[in-house]
Parts: sequence; structure tokens; C-alpha cells
Amino acid sequence: MSEKSKSQQRQMWILFFILGVIMLNFPFIQIFNRPETIFGIPVFILYILCGWPFSIVVIYLFSRTIIEDNNKQSTGDNNDL
Amino acid sequence: MTYEHINLTILFYVLILFAVAFGAASHRKHGKSIVSNPHIYSLTLAIYCTSWTYYGSVGRAATTGLDFLTIYLGPTLISFTWWFLLRKIILISKEHNIVSIADFIASRYGKSTYLGVIVTIFAVLGIVPYIALQLKAINHTFNLIGNWPDASVNAATFIKFGGVDTAFIVAVFLALFCILFAAMRLDSTEHHEGLIAVIALESIIKLIAFLAIGIFVTYGLFDGFSDIFTKFTNTFPDKQNLLRLSPTCSSGPRWFSMTFMSMMAVMFLPRQFHAMVIENTNHNHVRTAMWAFPAYLFLINLFVLPIAVGGLLTFNGDTSLADYYVLSLPLSANQQALAVLVFIGGFSAAAGMVMLESITSATMILNNLVMPIILRFNLKMTDMSGILLNIKRLAIIGVIFLGYFYYHILGESAALINIGLISFMAATQFAPALLAGLYWEKANQRGAAIGLILGFILWCYTLLIPSFVNAGWLPTGILTEGPFAIAWLKPTALFYLDNLDIWSHSLFWTLFFNIGAFLTISITTKQSKQEQEQAHRFVQVSTWDKNKNQLSRLSKAPSIMEFVDLMSKFIGEKEAHTAIAEYLGDRTVDEKGSLSEYEIPNLKRFTEKTLAASVGAASARIIIENYLSARGSKMEDIFNIFGTVSLSRNASREQLSVLYEAANAVSSGADLDDIFDSILELLYRQFRFDLCVLRFYDEQENKLIVRNFKGIDTDFLSRADREINDETCIGKAYINNKIQLANDSDCVDNPVSVAIVQREGIKSFAHAPVTIEGQPIGVLSSYSHYSKGIYTDEFIELYKNLAAQIGIAWRNANQIAKLIEASEQEKELRIAESIQLGLLPDKMPDISGLDIAGICIPAKQVGGDYYDFIVQSPDIDIVIADVSGHNVGAALLMAEARTFIQARARLLVSPTVVVDSLNRFLYKDLTKAELFITLFYLKYDHDKKLMTYTNAGHNHPLVYHSSTKSFEELDTEGLILGIKQEVSFEERHGILETGDILIMYTDGIIEATNNKGELFGLERLKNAIIESIDNDSQTIIDNTLIIARMFQGQRHFVDDVTMIVVKINQ
Repeated sequence: MSEKSKSQQRQMWILFFILGVIMLNFPFIQIFNRPETIFGIPVFILYILCGWPFSIVVIYLFSRTIIEDNNKQSTGDNNDL
Repeated sequence: MTYEHINLTILFYVLILFAVAFGAASHRKHGKSIVSNPHIYSLTLAIYCTSWTYYGSVGRAATTGLDFLTIYLGPTLISFTWWFLLRKIILISKEHNIVSIADFIASRYGKSTYLGVIVTIFAVLGIVPYIALQLKAINHTFNLIGNWPDASVNAATFIKFGGVDTAFIVAVFLALFCILFAAMRLDSTEHHEGLIAVIALESIIKLIAFLAIGIFVTYGLFDGFSDIFTKFTNTFPDKQNLLRLSPTCSSGPRWFSMTFMSMMAVMFLPRQFHAMVIENTNHNHVRTAMWAFPAYLFLINLFVLPIAVGGLLTFNGDTSLADYYVLSLPLSANQQALAVLVFIGGFSAAAGMVMLESITSATMILNNLVMPIILRFNLKMTDMSGILLNIKRLAIIGVIFLGYFYYHILGESAALINIGLISFMAATQFAPALLAGLYWEKANQRGAAIGLILGFILWCYTLLIPSFVNAGWLPTGILTEGPFAIAWLKPTALFYLDNLDIWSHSLFWTLFFNIGAFLTISITTKQSKQEQEQAHRFVQVSTWDKNKNQLSRLSKAPSIMEFVDLMSKFIGEKEAHTAIAEYLGDRTVDEKGSLSEYEIPNLKRFTEKTLAASVGAASARIIIENYLSARGSKMEDIFNIFGTVSLSRNASREQLSVLYEAANAVSSGADLDDIFDSILELLYRQFRFDLCVLRFYDEQENKLIVRNFKGIDTDFLSRADREINDETCIGKAYINNKIQLANDSDCVDNPVSVAIVQREGIKSFAHAPVTIEGQPIGVLSSYSHYSKGIYTDEFIELYKNLAAQIGIAWRNANQIAKLIEASEQEKELRIAESIQLGLLPDKMPDISGLDIAGICIPAKQVGGDYYDFIVQSPDIDIVIADVSGHNVGAALLMAEARTFIQARARLLVSPTVVVDSLNRFLYKDLTKAELFITLFYLKYDHDKKLMTYTNAGHNHPLVYHSSTKSFEELDTEGLILGIKQEVSFEERHGILETGDILIMYTDGIIEATNNKGELFGLERLKNAIIESIDNDSQTIIDNTLIIARMFQGQRHFVDDVTMIVVKINQ
């Protein structure tokens, strides 16, 4: 992986981390803090039940793009740490 | 269900766990690891889900609402960063053999002992309530399942079996299990495969059990999510806030705070750190764990709300047993098997956490508390490993029983979730020091320590004190009015900050003081050198250059075996030998069975690292330091020979510049001594040696004599010459033609050298032979009075190069001298030659009746031969001479002689007078020049055909008498010129008839030698003349020379050849 795409990937990680922190946190969740229900399930719970696995899927998809480094000395290749 | 049934079930389950643990451990012995895979790794991280998750989440959902979710959302969010953050921590830990979070923080901040102590105390105090919580959960559920349906009455009591209660038995059992799988021996890697396998299995069990009860409640007791929520909304319209964020203003900050705490806790709780970092076998496993672990958390939480809501519905809103809905729901539905499964799941969750937490605590206690004490009191024991192992076992038991007693005394008062959060807050305090330590090199020990202590104090004050108040240990007045009625010191409303919930309030104040102090002190104070190095290694873990290690050396270094003995003392002989064998695997060991000087510091580092795995970084550092200082050896920074520029790549540039300067000096063409002085000056100045000496071999004295020196006192000079023998290092260097060096003069072993070294106070020295075409001619020496270990491999190369340059300078100078000599000689020869040529007659005298021919062939060097004619008709004087020398001096003397003869001979009557006058005239000059002249003087009166002659030691001229066809040799008494002032020269007379031939010559012709060593001789000369006797004079000469040349087999005569032939025609 080139340095550029590596650094871009890293920035994407940080972006998603921040988005996750915002979207699964106060005050963003206040948006769904309503008495309505969908299929009998409160909106807030439904949001968590969908948003949470969604973030896990994002991590999963991202982790697929990581190229493992098998260099045990782990020099050079881990400059992104 | 009776207790007996449950006991049997637990026993059976435990046996399975044992089997799994033994299986994994024995697999590892065979080199295969069944736990080293990313899925098992992810499952071990699920140690995060304790009985607090298992039972407590439902309890909290049923009582306070949705904020239990934050405990699991936090880890999901932080896992976004794991590929960078966690992987870096893992890499560092592997690099340094880190064994616990206390070790990690201590190690980062210069292997600080007291930082290790602070973190350990903090961590242990932080998790004791958490362990208590687990024991409480097991105890309660055990009672619940055993006593159902009377559980509500007995749940909180301690069931006794022959005088001991369940919690106690469980504690004993867990301690035993921990010791079996984690403290059977002191491991040099702190990997517990058996334990990890058990934890992974338990994670599977608890997930299956929880999903089973979730599905049973949701789809068995109710009809899916919609049904359960709809019924709940209809039955408890007043409890709708449980399904939403509570409308109070503090619910937002609380959500935020709890998310943040759980983010930190999932990484920095000691057991989490252990499972994630220490037990990690491959940092690439993080890639899977970062989604698999959140997925696990999601699954185990999926049915929390349905179960909580279902519990409320089933028990008509009774929340007194909300913490145990998970178990009481199947029990109330008479699902015994499911209840047992749930119980086993809960038991698994609790047992795994207690085991891992107690083991990590025991490790921290041993390494960071006990070891420093042992080392402080410098207890001398031959084998510590047994004692250390027992201390570790005791620590495990100790930690578990601390939990037990905490539960006994305090445990019933607080809800599960609160105890857990107190631990989370404690773990959060490690975050600033640890995280900043990873990315900020300036973060320092003092800052981290003060930050942690302040965080710890605030944590006690804002969380522990309120919980003690709730337990009734402290008066409630502290909470409501503040201690001593000081309102702004109220633990839950510090400095009047009273509109936050207890968690946000605590989080804010602890981190405010923790981070504040940490940053301020780190910015304003400086790090020690050790700290700087560690900080650099941590922050730059991926780019940290291992070569930089080699910048230090160990004086009086211990041998490999001594290092092994040291390790054996702490980790046992077998482990020590295995470790050293692994280390030495690919390293070169010299003939003495030891490592090179620059490898020893690496071995020291390795030993320290190996010890660190057993006793922690801080203790390992102290052990090694004590050990070395007891030996009197210490790590010394290598005196950086190349100045401020670091070694390796840059050094070669420095090296080149020095060589360049030296080469410049050599090629400057200056005087040899100037060149040597400037090279010594270069060594002296650039490398700050105290003495630089250049000795050359002197043939006459058969010694190495000092020729040039720099920085030496004359006192030393008087005893600086060295004999050629191998008693001294210099002699050895010369004889063996090999560099001799001592980086530490204490290591010199030959007695003469030791005497010299001690007399002169030399700390290190090197002698390089100076050679010309591989042959030694001298020795270049350098000494240091202060520094040891100057001579790195790189420097030795440079040093050898400088010695070679000196050799080149010497050779150049010699060649130049020879050239000058040759050219001067050439010049001289040319002068001599021109003088000589000027002396010889340019043409033969033309006298009728006389056929005169003469020749002078100078040899390679300038000739000393001379012949001349003086014509005073009817007389003709013929003179032939040979000066002994072959240089300008001789030529000048010859010129002097000629001048005298030319000027005076005409006036003097007879040859005797001429020769006598000449002898007197030249005597002083000849004596002074240590030269002499042989000379034959002949006067011929053509009219009378009378010759008068006198000889001053010259070759006898020949006269060929045509009448008799025979040769006559002309000779008189007389000494060669320049021997004596008073010489009586005899004068003789003879007649030269027509047809007679006079032949005069110098020794060049008769001493011509052939390859057999025979001389040409007089007889051959006569024969040669006879052969051409009828020809003219010139032909006679030519033929004679041809014959002589043929005789000697070469054209050139060795000596000058002069020949005069006079043929009397009339």
C-alpha cells in the first residue's frame, strides 16, 4: 500500500471514529429520544439496534482493507502507528 | 433443584475447564498453540463481559434505563482506533517484555519503580470491589438456584457448608485454579495458554447461555420484540423512561461520561490490558478483534432489554431482584435445564474475570511492590525463583480474598453496576499517562506520577467516599453538607459543581487534576536520560533504530555464564538456559566463549528483558544495576569518537573527512616530520586523545624509537622507546604486524604492559603497525588517560587507515630523496663529464713522421682518465693519468693537474721535474680530497728519436720494437701522486726507431673482465696490437678495443678506457 493511501486510510479511520462517537452519543441520540414506536419497538431502541451493528459492519469492511504485516520486526511498515 | 445437583454440575463443568486448560497447555509444549488465532483472541477480550454484564445489565436496564448500553458502545467506538493504538501498545510490550499495565507505565517513564508502585496500588484497590462483585454474583445465583422459590428471602445470606460459605469456597477454588494455570512456574513470557483457552471457552458459554435465555424470554415467554415492548408500554406507562433517555438534564452528560469511561476501561482495566496486550500472540489478530469483539458485545446485549422488560412484566414491576432476572425468569418458568445453563454462564463470566484479574494483580504486586522491597533490602539468596513463585501464589490468594472480605463487609450495599463503574473510573485514570506516553515524547515521569496520584485521590474522594457513606461507614453528612460542613468540599459536588451526576462529576474532576498536573509538570520539568531513551523507544517503536544500542559498552563485563546465573536466580535454571540458548542462537561467540565487547550490552539488555518478563521492568533494571555495580562494572556511554554526529551512516562522512585531511597532509609534499606531526595533530585534536606517538624501527639500536609525538611530556619521552619483542603491546604490534588495542586497560594481561599502563595512567590505547608494502617499519600509537572504549570497529578502521597513510608518506619521502639524489648525481656527472671532455685534446697533434692516435672512453660514471700532448718541436710530451675518484672533485683535480702541466711543463726541462713539481703542487689538494693520481710522463725528441720518461705508479706503457718484433715495458721508480710530498722520481731514456710503436693505456682495458672472471691482461693486449701492427695508429686502437669488447662480451667497459698509440713512421 502506498504511503498516500495509507495515510488516507488512517484519516478515514479517525473520521469514522469521530462520527461514531458523535452519532452514538449525547446529544445526537437525543434526536431519537421520542415516544414513537416502529413495529412496536421504541425509536430510540431501534436506532441503537441498527446504528450499533452498522458501526460494527463499517469496522469490518475497513478491517478487510488492512494489509497485515507479517514482518515480525515490524519496522518500516508501521510508521502509521 | 438441590445444592447437590448444582455442586455436581459445577464440578462437572470445572472438570471440563481443567481438561481444556491442560489440553491447551500441552499443545503449547508441543509447539502448537491452539489459542494463537484471531477468533480466540477476540473471545478472550470478552473477559470484559463479567457477571456485571451478565446479570447487572438487565438489572440496570430494569431500574435506571438504557445507559447500560454505554458500557458496550464505548468499546465498539474505541475499537476504531485499535489498528493504530492497540497495535502500537502490543508492539511496544513485545519489544520490552511488558507483563502488566503497571509495568507498561513504569517502563515508559524510565522504568520508574515508584510509578510502578502507584499504578499497582491504584489498580489493585480499583479492582478489589470488582472482584467482590463477582463473588457476590456467584454467591447470590447459587443461593437463588438452590433455594428457589424462597430465593427472595435467602439470596443475600451466606449459605454455610460445614461452617464455610459459598463465596469462600468459590474463592478458594478460583485461587487454586489460578495457581494451577498461571503460577506453576515463573514464565519468561507471561503467556498462560491454559488459562486463555479456559477464558475463551467461558466467553462462548456465557454468550450461548445469555442468547438462550434471551431467546427463551423473547420468543418463549413473549412473542418477539414488538410484543414484549407493546405489552410493557401498555402495562407500565409510567416506566416509559426506561426505554428512552431520562428527561433529566444529567442523563446526557452521564451517557457521555459512561461511554468515555468504558472506552478507557476496555483497554486499561488490568485484566483487559492483560488479555489484549500481554496474552496477544500476534499483533495482526487485532484486525479481526476490532470487529469481532464489538459484535460479541452487541450479541450479548441484544436481549438485555427484552429480558429486563420481560422480568418487569413477569414479576409485576418488582425490581428487588432485577439484578437476577436472567436466572429467576427461567426458574419461575420452571425451566430447570435453562436455569442451570444460565447459572453456568454467569459462573463462567464471574470466574474468568476473577482469575485473570487476580493473576494480573498478583503479577503487578510481585513485580512492582515485592521485588523493589526485596531488592531494596538486598536480600542475598542463591535461588530466588522458588520464593518469587510462592510470593506470586500468595498474591493471587491475597487479591481474591481481599475481594471476598470486601464483599463480606461492604458488598451488599451497592448495586452491581455501581461497583463496576468505580473500577472503570480507576482504569480511566491510567489513560492520560499511557496514551500520552505513546505519542508524546516529552511526557515525563514526574508528570505521570503526580497526575496519577491526584487522579487517585480525587477518585477516592468523589467515588469511594460516597459509596462508603452509602454503606453506612461514614456519616451521610459528608455528602449532604460536606466534610466538617465545608460545602465546597462535598464529594459529589466538589467546588460547588453540583449539577452533574456522580460519574460525570467524578470523571471531570479526576481527569481535570490528572491531566492538568500531568501536562503542566511534563512541560515544565525535564526527563532523565533513561527516561528519554525509553520515551523515544515507546513513541518511535516502529522506526526505533536498534543499532543505536551499540553506543554503549560495559566495563568489567560479566561473562555469558554469569548472566545465566543471574537469570537462574530469579527465573530458575531451566528457563534461564532456554532463554540464553535462544538468544545465542545466531550470534558469534569468540574463542574464549564470550561475546564481542559490543554484543555484551545487548546481552545485558536481553537479560534485563528476560527478567522483566518475570519481575517487571523496574525491578529488572534494579536487579541488573545492583548486580553490575556490585561487580564494579557499569554501562558507559561510548565516547563518541566522531564528535557530535551520531554513528553509523553519518560517521563515515566524518571518517572520510579525517582521512581526507590526512591524505592532504601526505600529499602536501611537506617535510616528512611535518606530515607526521600533522597526522598526529589530527588524531589528537579530532579524537581528543591524550597522547599520540609515532615510533619507527631503528636498525642500529634494534629498537622502536619515538620519532614524532603529540601531547606527550618529555618525562615520558625518556622511556618511550620500545624493544622489539612481544613483552609490550607495541612490540607485539610490530612483530605480528597486527593492530593491538585495549579498550579497557584493566583488561591488559601482560605484565610489562600492565606496568606501563599503570605508570602512565592509561585507560585505553591502540597500536597500529605502520607498513610499507606489507612490511612493518614502525608503530602508530594513541592513548587516552580518561576514556575507555574509544576504539569502536569503525574507529579502528579509520585508525588503520591513518597508519597506512603514514606508511605511504614514509615511502613517498624515501622515493623523493632517492630521486633528488639521483638527479643531483646526474647533474654532478654532467659537470664532471664536461670538465673531463674539456681536458682531453680535441685533436691529435700533427707532427710529420709521427702517427698519433688517442681515445678516452668514459665508463658509466664519469671518468678519471686523462691524456694530453704538449708539442715543443722537435719534442713532444705525452702524458696519461688516472685519478682514483670518479666525481666532480676528481675531475677538478684532473683539471688542476692539466693546467699545471700545460702551464709549466714547457718550462721544465725533464719529465722528472715535471712530475716532481706536479706532486708537490697537487699533494695538499689530493690529500684533502683523499684522492691520488697515477701518471706517466714521456718526452720524445723526434729528431734524436730519444724518449725520456718517468712513471708515477701508472700502468707500464708498451713499446713495440719492429726490429725485434717484441714489446718493451716502460717503467721507472716512483710513487703515485698525492701519497708523499717528497718523492724521488726516476727518469729513464729510450730510443724509438722508425717503425716502433708506443702504446700508452690506463687500467680500464687490461682489467676488462669476461664472464669467467678472467682479466683481459697485458698478453691479450699485446696480441691485439700485433694483429693490426701494420695498420695506422687509429686502426690499432680500434681493433684493440674491438678485441677487448669481444673478450668481455659487452660493449661497455666497466672502467674508463684510455689508449694512446704513437707510430714512428720516419
